[in-house]
Amino acid sequence: MGVEMDIKEAGVELTEAENELYDRQIRLWGLESQKRLRTAKILIAGLCGLGAEITKNIILSGVNSVKLLDDKSVTEADFCSQFLAARESLNTNRAEASLVRARALNPMVDISADREPLKEKTAEFFGQFDVVVVNGETNEELLRIDSICRELGVKFIATDVWGTFGFYFASLQKHSYVEDVIKHKVVSNPDKKKKYETVSIPTQREVDYPGYSAWLDFDITAPSYLRKLKRNGPGVLLLSVLQKFRTTHQRDPSYKTRAADLELLRGIRDELLPNSDLTDEALGVIFAQISPAVAVVGGVVAQEVIKVVTKMEAPHRNLFVFDPETCAGYFETIEAK
Amino acid sequence: MAAAIDGVFPSTLQELVKKAKVLVVGAGGIGCEVLKNLVLSGFSDIEIIDLDTIDLSNLNRQFLFHREHVGKSKARVARESALSFNPDAKITAYHDSVTSTDYGVNFFKKFDLVLSALDNRAARNHVNRMCLNADVPLIESGTAGYNGQVELIKRGLTQCYECTPKDKQRSFPGCTIRNTPSEPIHCIVWAKHLFNQLFGESLEDEDISPDAADPDAKEKDEAGGDAEPKADGQEKEKGEESKEEDKEATANGNVVRINTRQWAKDCKYDAGKLFNKFFNEDITYLLRMSNLWKTRKAPVPVQWDTLLPDGSSGDQKEVAKQHHKIWSIEECGHVFANALKELSANFLKLEGDDTLSWDKDDQPAMDFVAACANVRSHIFNIERKSRFEIKSMAGNIIPAIATTNAITAGISVMRAFKVLEGKLEQCKAVYARLRPNARNHFLVPDASLPGPNPNCHVCASDPAITLKIDTKRIRIRELRDEVLVKTLNMLNPDVTVESNGTILISSEEGETECNEGKLLSELNIVDGVILKCDDFFQNYELSIIISHFDAERDQTLFEVVADASQLKPKEEEQKKEAVPEEKEDAEQKTAKKRAANGEGDAKDDGPSTSKRSRPTEVDEEDD
Repeated sequence: MGVEMDIKEAGVELTEAENELYDRQIRLWGLESQKRLRTAKILIAGLCGLGAEITKNIILSGVNSVKLLDDKSVTEADFCSQFLAARESLNTNRAEASLVRARALNPMVDISADREPLKEKTAEFFGQFDVVVVNGETNEELLRIDSICRELGVKFIATDVWGTFGFYFASLQKHSYVEDVIKHKVVSNPDKKKKYETVSIPTQREVDYPGYSAWLDFDITAPSYLRKLKRNGPGVLLLSVLQKFRTTHQRDPSYKTRAADLELLRGIRDELLPNSDLTDEALGVIFAQISPAVAVVGGVVAQEVIKVVTKMEAPHRNLFVFDPETCAGYFETIEAK
Repeated sequence: MAAAIDGVFPSTLQELVKKAKVLVVGAGGIGCEVLKNLVLSGFSDIEIIDLDTIDLSNLNRQFLFHREHVGKSKARVARESALSFNPDAKITAYHDSVTSTDYGVNFFKKFDLVLSALDNRAARNHVNRMCLNADVPLIESGTAGYNGQVELIKRGLTQCYECTPKDKQRSFPGCTIRNTPSEPIHCIVWAKHLFNQLFGESLEDEDISPDAADPDAKEKDEAGGDAEPKADGQEKEKGEESKEEDKEATANGNVVRINTRQWAKDCKYDAGKLFNKFFNEDITYLLRMSNLWKTRKAPVPVQWDTLLPDGSSGDQKEVAKQHHKIWSIEECGHVFANALKELSANFLKLEGDDTLSWDKDDQPAMDFVAACANVRSHIFNIERKSRFEIKSMAGNIIPAIATTNAITAGISVMRAFKVLEGKLEQCKAVYARLRPNARNHFLVPDASLPGPNPNCHVCASDPAITLKIDTKRIRIRELRDEVLVKTLNMLNPDVTVESNGTILISSEEGETECNEGKLLSELNIVDGVILKCDDFFQNYELSIIISHFDAERDQTLFEVVADASQLKPKEEEQKKEAVPEEKEDAEQKTAKKRAANGEGDAKDDGPSTSKRSRPTEVDEEDD
């Protein structure tokens, strides 16, 4: 609060109902942020469990509108974490099946569904949004959407969860934000013992985020990176293994073919980086999407969307990894080549 | 329902999840998320307990509740909503307090695991004790704003919830509140005390009038002579009777005490008269304590007729609705008059000795405090605040958002998997933060799993504490209510004197009533005496070693020292702690270390004066 904002975005006062509903969060991020949220238009593509979690958090925050895009149908595996789709909606479109419960979360947000394939969507479509979040998808498709979004100045986040492991990559281009810098100020009388008070000074910053290609170009086997990999755990390696699986097999590992797919995963792992810290055990918990892990990753992604929209606080730059073994959540900074 | 589908989990975990019986304590911000994660993961035997009902301000994060549920039981609605996610789960909901005697050790023993998602320390302490007793692993969680925390508590293996001291609620010396406020919070606390003096339960340590015995004013005055100037202006206005009481009160340093309430009633709550007393006459009186203003900026009294020459017609009701605006002093005058009118009408409707109780969500009560705090801030040249900001401070509202709750609850249930697998030593505490640490982590697991504190007054094998207490000023009733119940979190303690077995406090009604009004020293509870306390329900026994001290002015009358060996070298420091500045410094340091306490708002009425010992923790609203 107390930060100067462009009036065009933040000009309209909140209604009494909004003030009441959003009271506890306005007390955290301030009125101006809440007003900015109210103008934000968000696309969530891929209504898997992770998509449902992000959707829930974004809708609760009080954005202007959320478009749910998915051409797939609800499957049995969705019931491990996709709480927006009712049991009865099995085999129906996932985005449409999520509408009723999504709307019930916050009647003040405009929510719609779109069942067309993501592949067929062009710049005109993506240009309607302030932030585009894509769950799942191949690297090829993520790269396509990222370049469209960068062209249009739309902020793009690619994310996914396999079992209990998850990541996101933020392609935010030039992003400016305000962050409170904590300083100490002497407040005691000159003749008394020194007493300090912390004051936070809102400070404007700007950071440039590289595109998704930076991640595709990233070499995790580079000697310079190996030490980091050792220290932070094998999360980034696991991400590479899972994305390689998806690219190679044009699908994800399935619990229905658990044993065979584990064999394939071990093969990819050993090919990518022999003798790594990525254990067989860690490969055993990457099937379907497990609710608590999805809640963590979905919570983190939604918080990043809120940071982007409100232009408050630094979004993490730029590759996030959740390690289900330790529950550590951290990011790697992937630079453009 | 992940566990219901073969191949999703490794088979051992699948079986463990299917079979587990778990208890979720709290169906608020974290509880809703935990319950969702549990049913979707395939836990099928779940019990959930919460005594609270749904409020509109919950709906920005407690996503199992919608507008049509406002006013209904959180536990029951959460159960219904979660069942729609997984109709195969069996969920039992209790709309009840977890501290109720219906939920004893045998209740807790039924479960393989307890996940607590509470918002206040008293309930957390209680659940901690029950889980220790029942030897059931407890996953404890809390959030505040962007901060979240999850930790495992297991008897004998880890720290328990009470092994480490928790931050105390900020409190202020009486004379800062009454004579020399320097921050908005001082004026807000004063305004809440004023509310209580007029309409609420009037407490001795909540006096709002000038404190003539302020040591700051006195020291130098002794040389100059008159330490207690006469407040003749006020006395003239009041009757003979109150004059008598004034004199008596002055002996305690309290000018014009008890009958502020009666006097206001006699004035028919005339806004101008009341305003002038609090903001003009009392301030004029303070100005006469000239020593106070040698190093401070002197306050400037405000007069009703000068402020609002045409009075308040009562049609400026819109002002109070501008929650984010900082009202002008004139506007504060109008809000004061309107709130006073409403509150006095409500007060006069009450029967017998009933009083109003201050509530941040009660519109005239909040308006009154916001207006009075701002007028006083203006007088003392302190920054004024909006009603919105004052509400945060006066009501101890802890901000809460959906994302932090989702992340925290996610980590809780991830830890639940590990606990079921028996990998307890891997369950290090995890902290969620807004900003990353130096290693770019913002969900940060602890480096180690700290073992039990051998000096813990709860989980040690033969727990003992030293109680520094002014035995000449504390009565048995206060020992029970303030020390044993509010501070040490017992429910219904029995206390005997170790040396002779005398029963001092009995949990049986009426058995020790005759002791209640007596001072500790009168019953020979003096320095060195050991008391044996036993809370049957919590199955908790504690030895209390009495260490007498003569409390100074504005010093708390008791303090619990968990580790007796720390008592001696610490004594010097503790004396210093009476100086508020240093105390705050120390608190800020520990506050940085400690993470979130709870999701929600304070049920307790916020910061207080420190003259008498009160429950020191932040008790958030059940949420």
